[in-house]
Amino acid sequence: MTDNLEQLIKEAVEKALEGDMDAINNIEDRVTRSKAKAALVKAKREAVKEKTEASLDDNSESVSDSKKDKTSNEHIAELLIQQFPDDINKELSSNEHIQIQPKNWLIISIYLRDDPGCLFDSLQCITGVDLGEESDLEVRYNLHSMTHRHAVEIRISCPRNKAKVPSVESIWRIGDWFERETYDMYGIEFEGHRDLKRILLPEDWEGWPLRKDYEVQETYHGIIVPKVKEGWE
Amino acid sequence: MGIVKGDQMVLNIGPQHPSTHGVLRLKVVTDGEIVSDIEPIIGYLHRCFEKHCENSTYEQVIPFTDRCDYIASMNNNFGYVVAMEKLMEIKVPDRVEYIRIIMAELNRIASHLLALGVYGLDVGAFTPFLYMFRDRERILDIFELTCGARLLYNYMWVGGVSHDLPVGFVETVYGFLDYFEPKLKEYNEILTYNKIFIERTADVGVLPPEVAISYGVSGPNLRGSGVKWDLRKDEPYSIYERFDFDVPIGEGTVGTTGDCWDRFYVRMLEMTESAKILRQALKDLPQGGDVHQAIPKKIRPPKGSIYQRTESPRGDLAYYIISDGTPQPYRLKMRSPAFTALSVLNEISRGWMLSDVIAILGSLDIVLGEIDR
Repeated sequence: MTDNLEQLIKEAVEKALEGDMDAINNIEDRVTRSKAKAALVKAKREAVKEKTEASLDDNSESVSDSKKDKTSNEHIAELLIQQFPDDINKELSSNEHIQIQPKNWLIISIYLRDDPGCLFDSLQCITGVDLGEESDLEVRYNLHSMTHRHAVEIRISCPRNKAKVPSVESIWRIGDWFERETYDMYGIEFEGHRDLKRILLPEDWEGWPLRKDYEVQETYHGIIVPKVKEGWE
Repeated sequence: MGIVKGDQMVLNIGPQHPSTHGVLRLKVVTDGEIVSDIEPIIGYLHRCFEKHCENSTYEQVIPFTDRCDYIASMNNNFGYVVAMEKLMEIKVPDRVEYIRIIMAELNRIASHLLALGVYGLDVGAFTPFLYMFRDRERILDIFELTCGARLLYNYMWVGGVSHDLPVGFVETVYGFLDYFEPKLKEYNEILTYNKIFIERTADVGVLPPEVAISYGVSGPNLRGSGVKWDLRKDEPYSIYERFDFDVPIGEGTVGTTGDCWDRFYVRMLEMTESAKILRQALKDLPQGGDVHQAIPKKIRPPKGSIYQRTESPRGDLAYYIISDGTPQPYRLKMRSPAFTALSVLNEISRGWMLSDVIAILGSLDIVLGEIDR
């Protein structure tokens, strides 16, 4: 009997996925009907998950933000391309951000801070991003200028196993703590930082917690570390 | 931390210490009474906020933001929902916007009251602390009336707020304002212009504006250094452009611009401005309509990223959200204002007496929940 029911539910869900909801609505037994509906929801959710995992490519931005001042961003991008033609990755840059190579980042950052057309006096935020278990890591810098009242986002990606980016700690002093935090969470080394060490986690913690492939260490000082559940709903 | 010389001593303050405002440890190198280096050691309250967010749905993130800055939870909610609404291009009803402004400004007053009262306590004035806590309690009562919680509200949702205003809310807030505004004069008499208080704070821990900007210091700390910068005015979000208010800055009234007293006094003046915004918002508050109307059934933002800044009582609070189209954020980073404020401590405390370090730390108004996340 149970096998028959399961078979019935399975067929109904398959039909419903193709757009025929009556297959489920016509089931007479209430319990079976609700079971079928639950199975349908689950199937749909899995389909969405597969779809997004397949299309996860963070460089293609689909949000169009009308409020953002695109002209200032484009203007900065033009200035940078003029000054450092080899360091700007034009294909990966968009209206909202500029993608650059890590090599000359320190020189570019001095230019961004001191050039009269840029004058980015404050480093707002450094965000580390893991682009996926098989892909690169990325560091995103949000800069803002109080004089010109414009903002720009710089992105630098670096390979996962050799994550190294020049430090801008000497250009904007807050870079010190922001870079330590990014190092703490992603293991990205900021070359030239004077005191690069963990900031939020204990010094002897193992691994880089915000990487997508992070696995919690078994024990810490003899205490068993509880395993993280795979999401919860 | 550099080499400790023969006549120097390392002194440990915290992690459990009443004037560190939370679980903060300071490794202080002293030369007699004079401080030559400070290393703040943080992370004692680290709760993996950002990792938790990656495993939660967008709705489930809101209670976490409450627990980051537990002194000003409304403002933390506010920053997050503003960022989310911009990412999802949701237009919220006017009434919701007004309710949010009212809550955010009430919470700003409550947060400043705590900051100022505790600051008095740090430098040895016990009575003002009790006065300010008494008045802060009234604001917490208003929040309790609205959403049932006194500290961790989970009140602002993406697209709306959790509850509509209760009956008699507007009158209650008017009643509070009528009570509160004369009290500011009382605080000034009892604390601000107290001779001992001025001796302890004026000319101490001067933070020059260019150093403040380079260290990313924001909010009242930055304005205390004489920089007229307030996101509510300079990059208005929500409906702040509709209100008429001033941005008070430090002018070195009793000492040098950017000293501890200036940072303190800017907060005192900001409470007056918040009261001004509150009166305007209460006057214009639209009636009727459903506060849940614009709340989406499913929160699934389009692929993309957003960096949105808002002005919390502690300064420039920003969220960097990356969405991959699923109901869970791919990455969520919180840029906390107290984190940047604490990083400047070493720079402005060197050369001061040990007791002044407590005064400087208190004037920065840090919340460890937000620093450690």
